[in-house]
Amino acid sequence: MTTRSTGWTVAVTGLLTVVALYFLVPVYWVVIAATKSSGDLFTTPGFWFGRTMELWNNVVQVFTASDHIYLRWLLNSVIYAGGGALVATYLAAAGGYALAKYDFRGRNLVFGIVLGGVLVPSTATALPLFLLFSKLGLTNTYWGVLLPAMVSPFGLYLCRIYAAATVEDSLLESGRLDGAGELRIFHSLVLRGMAPALVTVFLFQLVGIWNNFLLPLIMLADDKLYPITLGLNAWRSEVDRSPEFYPLTVGGLLVSVVPLAIAMIFLQRYWRGGLTDGAVKG
Amino acid sequence: MTIGRRRLLGLGLGALGAAALAGCAPPGANQVNTAPVIPAAAPGEKITLTYWAWLKDLQKVCDIWNARNPNVQVEAVFSLGGANGGYQKMYSALAAGGGPDLAQVELRTVPEFMLVDGLVDLSRYGAKQYASRYDEAAWGQVSFNGGVFAIPQDTGPMGWYYQPAVLEKVGGKPPTTWDEWAQLAQELHAKDPDVYLESFSVADSSPFISYAAQAGAKWFTPTDNGWLVNLTDDASLMVARFFDKAVDNKWVQTAYDAYSPGWTAAAGNGQIAALTGASWGDALVETIGTGSGKWKVAPMPKWSSGFGSTALGGSSAAVLANSKHPKEAMDFAVWMTTSREGVDAMIKYCGIGWSPARDYIGAQRQQPSDFFSGQNYNTEVFVPAAKQQPTDWKWWPITQRTINALSDQFRRKLTAGQSFVDSLHITQKTTVDTLRQIGLTVQEAK
Amino acid sequence: MTATETVAAERASAPAPVRPRRRRKFLGAPWILLAPFLALFVLTVLAPVILAVAQSFTRINRAGMFGEKGVTSSFAGFDNFTQALTNSNFIQAIGRVLLFGVVQVPVMTVFATVLALLLESASARWPAFFRAAYFLPYGIPGVIATILWSFLYVPGLSPLVDAGKLVGLDIDFLGPNTVLWSIANIVTWTYTGYNMLIVIAQLKSIPSDIYEAARMDGASPLRIATSIQLPLIRPALVLSLVFSIIGTLQLFVEPQVLHTVSPAIVSEYTPNLSAYTNAFAYNDYGIASAEAVIIAVAAFVLSFGFLAWTNRKGRS
Repeated sequence: MTTRSTGWTVAVTGLLTVVALYFLVPVYWVVIAATKSSGDLFTTPGFWFGRTMELWNNVVQVFTASDHIYLRWLLNSVIYAGGGALVATYLAAAGGYALAKYDFRGRNLVFGIVLGGVLVPSTATALPLFLLFSKLGLTNTYWGVLLPAMVSPFGLYLCRIYAAATVEDSLLESGRLDGAGELRIFHSLVLRGMAPALVTVFLFQLVGIWNNFLLPLIMLADDKLYPITLGLNAWRSEVDRSPEFYPLTVGGLLVSVVPLAIAMIFLQRYWRGGLTDGAVKG
Repeated sequence: MTIGRRRLLGLGLGALGAAALAGCAPPGANQVNTAPVIPAAAPGEKITLTYWAWLKDLQKVCDIWNARNPNVQVEAVFSLGGANGGYQKMYSALAAGGGPDLAQVELRTVPEFMLVDGLVDLSRYGAKQYASRYDEAAWGQVSFNGGVFAIPQDTGPMGWYYQPAVLEKVGGKPPTTWDEWAQLAQELHAKDPDVYLESFSVADSSPFISYAAQAGAKWFTPTDNGWLVNLTDDASLMVARFFDKAVDNKWVQTAYDAYSPGWTAAAGNGQIAALTGASWGDALVETIGTGSGKWKVAPMPKWSSGFGSTALGGSSAAVLANSKHPKEAMDFAVWMTTSREGVDAMIKYCGIGWSPARDYIGAQRQQPSDFFSGQNYNTEVFVPAAKQQPTDWKWWPITQRTINALSDQFRRKLTAGQSFVDSLHITQKTTVDTLRQIGLTVQEAK
Repeated sequence: MTATETVAAERASAPAPVRPRRRRKFLGAPWILLAPFLALFVLTVLAPVILAVAQSFTRINRAGMFGEKGVTSSFAGFDNFTQALTNSNFIQAIGRVLLFGVVQVPVMTVFATVLALLLESASARWPAFFRAAYFLPYGIPGVIATILWSFLYVPGLSPLVDAGKLVGLDIDFLGPNTVLWSIANIVTWTYTGYNMLIVIAQLKSIPSDIYEAARMDGASPLRIATSIQLPLIRPALVLSLVFSIIGTLQLFVEPQVLHTVSPAIVSEYTPNLSAYTNAFAYNDYGIASAEAVIIAVAAFVLSFGFLAWTNRKGRS
């Protein structure tokens, strides 16, 4: 844009490159480490390939170990994060819309309590949630993780703000004049208009559930129900007793990190878009 | 209408609150061991038992049993290692009214499971007839209040692993006493500052507890008036002073614990000469890539008082409180831990620690080992060691908590220069306080 | 509620004027829309909170050596809280996360802001690539990031430690004085890109004519950053700071995963780890609940306090 010194450009770009190294080195390391045998892992330099190329073996091992459990963990993570975030987004949209566009008794009370829920650290509720769910027989089931994942107080907050600002009263009136019921109006007219906010809520919740460690750790006993995070941690905690878990853990890391990294690069745009809406309007 | 809804909401909340408070029923309130004995399955009835354990390939052991016992099938479920999350799972399952029939529970954790009423008293199902099949020390650790609360599955009698070539640098031999050990550690480190005789853990106090037990310490004694607690008896203080001196003079490596990657690397290049370790340490020593033929095993050093050896680690197969078939679960556990085929399979597939079976150590363990310089170390060192373990050592209902508390204090050795002796005094107090807080009766030794 | 109160509340909160007749007509609709959310909210947030509070006031009494002669529970008053707050481990854990927060949160925020400003400055080449590279770790769950870094910390495996040895440095990432900062590094690594993105989003919403005007006046990039960009991205910074504060108090995953490789991480390293250990390793739900309540209250106080403080500063 300006001709102001290429020197400045080189300096800034150089600095940014060094920072990029910091963010990428661990990922680079895991790529290299996943190509190594257990022995090479300890005896060859960490930032370069080992004596043999074991990538294929390691990856095959990752997918076939313990009866293909790794695939199952991946699938579970998708179910928990995808399913939970989808339902959470829908419920937050419905609730947020109701709070924004209807006036009814108790509205402020409900909103206030839910807002309080935003600030309660999820880790503080994890323990009593476990006790409650164990009484209801929900621990060690998919529901034990899914049900809490389906609630996003923060999502409801965002949806309320967004609906209040963007959903036109005239739209609702015209729908009503056409004789549509309230639920019908919400589903066919409002939901689509709220899409930008919904993407944000969905992504937030998705990442939140995918990252959540404490809740599944507490809720799940059966490793067939584990999400990938718990599964990898289980492998990792075995390495001290049985070093053969090293290649398995490192390979498992690689297989889980790469798709996530790629997803992040592509999702980045939506993220920013959604966040701006939320932040500016909030 | 609005009010109606509100009331409905209120009722809903109330119901949840009630459910929540019901959830408050304290763990251990259901008293499995005063409930009627569960009869054995009817002949011809087909049952399946589940066994949660962190032993690899345990199913292969179960399969041997399953082939013989078509009506009592055992299914092994791999669980996280105990303190790494396995126990949390088991406690969770117990609290939720479920869980497996059998679970791997470390010997030292058995009383903790008793505290939440998580274990079936197997003496009600005839376990006492099997006492003579087990090492006395192991059986003692599952017996409380006249009951039997688990079946010992593996133990860890201790010996001394060493690299003769490294000791040779100072003309050293395996020490028979801890004083000789200290002398050797000192000479070795003086000769080459990069070399240490052993690692000593300030992060995990369990080895220390084993050494204290070897010296004759008795931290917990059951009495008619509750637990008698004494972490600061003469034997314990002597051992604490001994290691205070060793660490203060830098005779031992404290930067990494035994078996950690750093330790493995150091042991591989001769910077760690030896290891006072349990019998199960052999498999871990064997992972030292370049170690084959360089290691041997000797009896562990002795204190001026106490026992010839001691134990580190060890676990049991416990029948959990919600099992529908405690009798069959116990029968399986006894078969697995005392029959020849059971013990051999446990060693072959699961690589268990020392078999607690009194008169069978497993076929494999009677062979000389190439890694350990052709030495027949199991029969030579660990068979006698198993007979010389302290027999009246009792773990207690908050063992892990005490070990954690003591470990937390031990770490201050390096961060704040706090002595192990002081750590014992502090932990004595916190342990007694905690026991009282959870409502148990305690006496402190004078 | 009287009519005037309702109207007042309506004015105070309603974002758009609401026609009163709608209230009667669609009485059921909002509740139907809200019901599924509320039901789950009550089940998974409200009820656990109530339960946690109830448990934090409950004591368990046992008779015998293991409670085999009877177990009962009773009202404990504030005993559990007193015990939690006199537990030196828990107090140290609080001190530890406070220290962590005081250092890590500002460092990360400044780091993220500087990166955002550099990326948005005309001087940077390939901003899209860098942005993606910095944001990438955010997609990696904390557990996985920690396992990954743990391999880079563990002596014997870590190329970083090896590299340090080559230049004569004996780096111990897991020692008692360093491990907290090794954790801080993992958190910074994971969340800097995310915070940077928030700031960038805010920067992008600054109308370009403001920049034009500044440049016409001959303002330097530094000047533009300090007097135009920073004040305008303040709200975004405040938001991300609040999230970071709450996140810091909840520190759990990183120490929990690292404790198997770092002797320095004690069983009650952070407040959350303390609550977890008390609940699931010690089965002491009363103390654990009291600690959870204390953590939640602290999060409330800190984030509200911070918001109030920034609001007042913003106004003056």
